[in-house]
Amino acid sequence: MSLKFYRRVAFGLSPNEKEDKDPLNWALSQLNSIPDLLWPGSIPSEKDLRKKYGEWVYGDREVLRKKYKNDKNAYKRAKDELRIKTGERYFELNEHAIRHYQTKYSNQPVFERFWLFWGNHFAISEKDFLAEFSTGPYQREIIRPNMVKTFEDMVLSVTTSWCMIHHLDNSESFGPNSKKGMEWRETINENHARELLELHTVSPNAGYTQEDVIQLAYIMTGWSHKWSRKNLETGDVWFDQEMHQKGDKVVLGVKYKNDAKRELAKVIHDLATHPICIKFVSTKLCRHFITDEPTEEMISPVIEAWNKSNGSLAEIHKAVITQAYKHNETTHKFHPPEIWLMQLSRMFDLNTPLSAKKMEYVFKSRPTNKQRQLSWILREIGNSPYRAKQPNGWSDFEVDWVSPELLLRRFWFASIELPMLVKSGNKSHDFIITCLKNNFEDYENMASLIHQFRFGTSDKDLGRKYGVICNLPGVLKV
Amino acid sequence: MNCTRRNFLIGGSTTLFLSGYFPKISFASMQKKNLIIISLRGGMDGLTAIPVIGDKSLKKLRKKLILEDVLNLNSDFGLHPKLEIFHKLWERNQGAFVHATNIPYTGRSHFDGQNLMETGAHIPYKEKTGWLGRGLLASNIIGKGLAISLPMPLLLRGVPQNNNFFPSPDFVETKLIDQIYNEFKGEHNELIKSTLDTIKKRPFSMQIATDSDDRKKLALEAAKQLKEQSGPRVAVFDLDGFDTHAAQGGVDGAHADELEEINKIVTILYENLGQAFDNTLILTLTEFGRTIKQNGGYGTEHGYGSAILMAGGLLKKSQVYTDWPGLKKKELFEGRDLNSTIDSRAVYNSAMSVCFNQDPEFLRKEVFWGDQLPDLSQELFKI
Repeated sequence: MSLKFYRRVAFGLSPNEKEDKDPLNWALSQLNSIPDLLWPGSIPSEKDLRKKYGEWVYGDREVLRKKYKNDKNAYKRAKDELRIKTGERYFELNEHAIRHYQTKYSNQPVFERFWLFWGNHFAISEKDFLAEFSTGPYQREIIRPNMVKTFEDMVLSVTTSWCMIHHLDNSESFGPNSKKGMEWRETINENHARELLELHTVSPNAGYTQEDVIQLAYIMTGWSHKWSRKNLETGDVWFDQEMHQKGDKVVLGVKYKNDAKRELAKVIHDLATHPICIKFVSTKLCRHFITDEPTEEMISPVIEAWNKSNGSLAEIHKAVITQAYKHNETTHKFHPPEIWLMQLSRMFDLNTPLSAKKMEYVFKSRPTNKQRQLSWILREIGNSPYRAKQPNGWSDFEVDWVSPELLLRRFWFASIELPMLVKSGNKSHDFIITCLKNNFEDYENMASLIHQFRFGTSDKDLGRKYGVICNLPGVLKV
Repeated sequence: MNCTRRNFLIGGSTTLFLSGYFPKISFASMQKKNLIIISLRGGMDGLTAIPVIGDKSLKKLRKKLILEDVLNLNSDFGLHPKLEIFHKLWERNQGAFVHATNIPYTGRSHFDGQNLMETGAHIPYKEKTGWLGRGLLASNIIGKGLAISLPMPLLLRGVPQNNNFFPSPDFVETKLIDQIYNEFKGEHNELIKSTLDTIKKRPFSMQIATDSDDRKKLALEAAKQLKEQSGPRVAVFDLDGFDTHAAQGGVDGAHADELEEINKIVTILYENLGQAFDNTLILTLTEFGRTIKQNGGYGTEHGYGSAILMAGGLLKKSQVYTDWPGLKKKELFEGRDLNSTIDSRAVYNSAMSVCFNQDPEFLRKEVFWGDQLPDLSQELFKI
């Protein structure tokens, strides 16, 4: 079995990992449990970070905007101070460190790849201050624990999470015949309902109509954040009966009797177990791990495992990996920039993320350049993970990642930034060759392309070597 | 306030529906025509950029946001002083504006609005390509799009082989590419290989590292490329920060800072396109305008109608083209926003038809699903 399997389903092998005798079993055995987060630094809870979010928006919106309404410069200054005090510029950096530490050191890297997948399937795109405070903890506390449960459990948790509700405006959705809807003459906001159908579950293939979207939005009315003068929109999610549309609803031909908060779990059950949903999500999984256009032959075993296990994610994941293994030699898959970076970090044991000690923050000044480095690199290579522009997340198609500048950014990273991340003990040419040998069958060919620089260990020399190595077709793709 | 609701469109689009389209084949149409779109993200306030003069409702509702000095356009409209290049161009019939216009989207979400301003569709996220990309494809203009951004903007998607310019922070030795180029073998590496070809063919000036946060440098390079007869025909710039919920200000506020950015880009394009400016159209694009009324933070909220700023030698004349809806409470959209009386997609469709030498009816069908978009080419552009 070729070594590229370790990059197809994980992040390649680090210098102290060796190829397993049974790679398929190696991968499958990683999917039954949730590995602990290894990051030795601070891992704040979603709730604590939401509190910080609240401090930031309250301070800006309710205090500073009023105080400095005539002086934009003073306003900017005061706002910058508030950023420091609330960690508005910090927490996202820390989340990136937690995430990349995990993909670098986890003993269950295959699980971590699925973690990235689901975080992107149920994407939180760049909106308000979600990337700054909430998307990281959402992926840790909502996505991750559900990965050994069922798909239906995952959808229900995601749909009622503060982060997704805020992201898709469900708190602004009022049943027009509800108490508050009538009092305030408000109506539904369809955003969340539409994305629940289109992106999270059945996809447009299900042929739902605008009326289905409206009816689902009715069912979802009431699921909202608790609003208060001090916390604004950052209160916990609850079901507000006074916002909920009364009466029976019909979605995709199924009738849901008037049943207040219990309606949502019922419709999610039907959506998450809908054959078209199963096919849609199975296809996306195969696309992520196998090839941009997966075939029926790849997808059907995943659907079968899904049906047999009643949507158990561990079993679904195993079926995907089995197919990835089976088609490893005959298919190609392009890696988006963040996964590419994670793989380089693991294979060449790069000095990133920053140590937990150095990531500590005291809320007194701007985060240091070192603390910002990883996030800056992610942004520069075009794949800042919590900042997808749209709720459909980052694309899994090669065509979306191959623009001239996006490719040049990879050359830039590998030849200029990466050398500064090489640990001082790892600068020798032999080290590179060892890592290549550990991860690529054709390491000799790869080595020959950098042979001319074999005596150099300066950053410039390393840049020439890594600039070549990291952008070879077999590294950009498996 | 002299400006009441008038029907500016009579004798315009209505007759055009009957007249059909007769493309003029002349030397001028052999010349490459450039279409440049500047996306203004966050919701550009048309009433700050192009204020109505002497409107009592506006004065009353925007006490703290009124501009003290505006550049004079005509008896009805002024121009924000930070947009001085447009004033200069106005005087030579190379600057014009469409007012009280927007994409047909009233939801007030940046999110959905920005998606729709790029796809040109009615339902957010339904379409995966942009109207500009579809327009290029329908006109069979391939490999002539240039995005001044790192990812390929949605607006340009839908046509292959676009280029983009947004250089990395340091110089990248492109000879690295030569070293690995031949390693890209087989069909599955075709896309990367052809993109490497695009990179290798780029002029040296596009290889030099620059500070991509410096919009001046980016605009300068774009102008250089657009000037070439064999260069790109379409360029897309991206600006954000128009979402001024606080301290929006008048002549010097937060919105003025953003307008100044537009001014910078257009100035650089004007100064560096040279003769090519005569064959160029520059149009702005935004997701919505802003509320008439100032909020508690002396900013404005998300609204509806906005304005399109236009520059270039392909403009017919200097004018504020509008079907002005008025600003009295009952004239406002939902009692709070400047209404939109012109579907801005009609302007973009007409601009594409002029720049791509294409029948606007054909484009309307190919790009905008046959939506009712009057042809405004004769009113707005040189054809």
